[in-house]
Amino acid sequence: MAAERVLVPLSDTVTVRQTVGYAVRAALEDADAVEFHLVAALPYDAAVPEGRSLTEDAEQLLTRAENWVEEDIDDTDATVEIETAVVGTNEYLFGPRDFAEAFEAYATRHDIDQVVLDPEYQPGQTAQLIQPLERELTALGLSYEEAPVDRPARHERLIGGGTERFDQLFATFWISYGFYLILGDPTAPFDLVTGAAVAGIVSISLAYVTFTFPLGRLRSPLRTVRFALYIPYLLYEIVKANLAISVVILRPSMPIEPVLTRVNARVRGGLPLLALANSITLTPGTLTVRADDQRLIVHTLLPGARDDLFDGALERAVRFVFHGRSGARIPTPRERDDTEIIGGDDV
Amino acid sequence: MIDQLQFWAVFLCLAFGLFFTFVSTVGVLRLPDVYSRAHTASQTDTLGAGLSLAAVALALGWESTTIYTVLLLFFVFLTNPTAAHAIARSAAESGITPLTAEDELESETVDDGASAPGDTAVNAGEEGGDHA
Repeated sequence: MAAERVLVPLSDTVTVRQTVGYAVRAALEDADAVEFHLVAALPYDAAVPEGRSLTEDAEQLLTRAENWVEEDIDDTDATVEIETAVVGTNEYLFGPRDFAEAFEAYATRHDIDQVVLDPEYQPGQTAQLIQPLERELTALGLSYEEAPVDRPARHERLIGGGTERFDQLFATFWISYGFYLILGDPTAPFDLVTGAAVAGIVSISLAYVTFTFPLGRLRSPLRTVRFALYIPYLLYEIVKANLAISVVILRPSMPIEPVLTRVNARVRGGLPLLALANSITLTPGTLTVRADDQRLIVHTLLPGARDDLFDGALERAVRFVFHGRSGARIPTPRERDDTEIIGGDDV
Repeated sequence: MIDQLQFWAVFLCLAFGLFFTFVSTVGVLRLPDVYSRAHTASQTDTLGAGLSLAAVALALGWESTTIYTVLLLFFVFLTNPTAAHAIARSAAESGITPLTAEDELESETVDDGASAPGDTAVNAGEEGGDHA
């Protein structure tokens, strides 16, 4: 019987052990000779100097996984080969699409017939806007099987976690307290007391849901201030775009020119991408149809709106909010050749 | 004098809010496909609701309830693009091909009947109603 080749993408999740166990069991059921490919993919952070520790972590995980496979095949007489690999070390894996492509390339190189996925493994899933890995794998035509695993409920410990945890609690507490007092009466003692109680409960139970990233003590308040500056600018853009589109709609000839474009946005991370995609949709004339990682597929209705999009004013503004003034100095999408007009069939 | 000014400010905000809501309705009726309609549908939320809420805030004056209208606007600005994106994305995922400029030029030069079947089905209602 031909050797079956199984690809197991790994990352340090709570269910990684069970996934490996399942992959071994399932593969040995219907084959005597199995080749296991244990692969860890590195996210884009690997490119920065701190990324070295990520690479080391990945290698350690692979070594551990190799031992697990050996443990699991102990009592069978099947021929098993184990290959380990780290992918994405010299690429720039950002979203699920990039990860899926990396796995697909690996699968083609090694003639893989089966992929076993860890259901907790969600690489690059930094915003709900982005399509998940499973979907991207299906789009690439790579069949996968999800390992049935038991997983514990996700919760954080109340104590511990250091300053990072404290910052998250602190920020959530004051944001919810402030919101409560805005809705209520900031001078009434009753509201002050109940507000503190509610904010306490909210921050303990929801702080780690609200902030999935570490907060910077200087950076985060600064971003909030810059965001406040961004709102009037966005309003101005909205009014401008609204007027332009109203004129077109009310003209009897209605000179619209709907075109589908793809813009490669230079914003890193889920939150900036979300802010940019939402701002694009909020201005009439441009509409984000899809977000495949940083590649936004934008439907544009008017040539003027399209030019604005290609000039990247909103992108620069979002970069200003998240990275400061130096981050905003970036060539326009048109100049760096990140824009493309695509046909209607490519959505 | 101040009352007069306030009255006209409220009046202007309401009038423009209504105007943009009207334009948005016309747009939804006139534009050819689901993608381009999603553009103009968001006008109701951004400027239509925005100016109407501004009118409410001005009419109330400096009161604590005024803050609610500002908050309301903030949430409308969050939910509006989310909904528009959800509509567009689900349209894309159910395989609706957007009508693009090239298609339109083709259908104008060749014949209306010659354009893709999906497009004509979407177009039929508007073409008949508006250009007649």
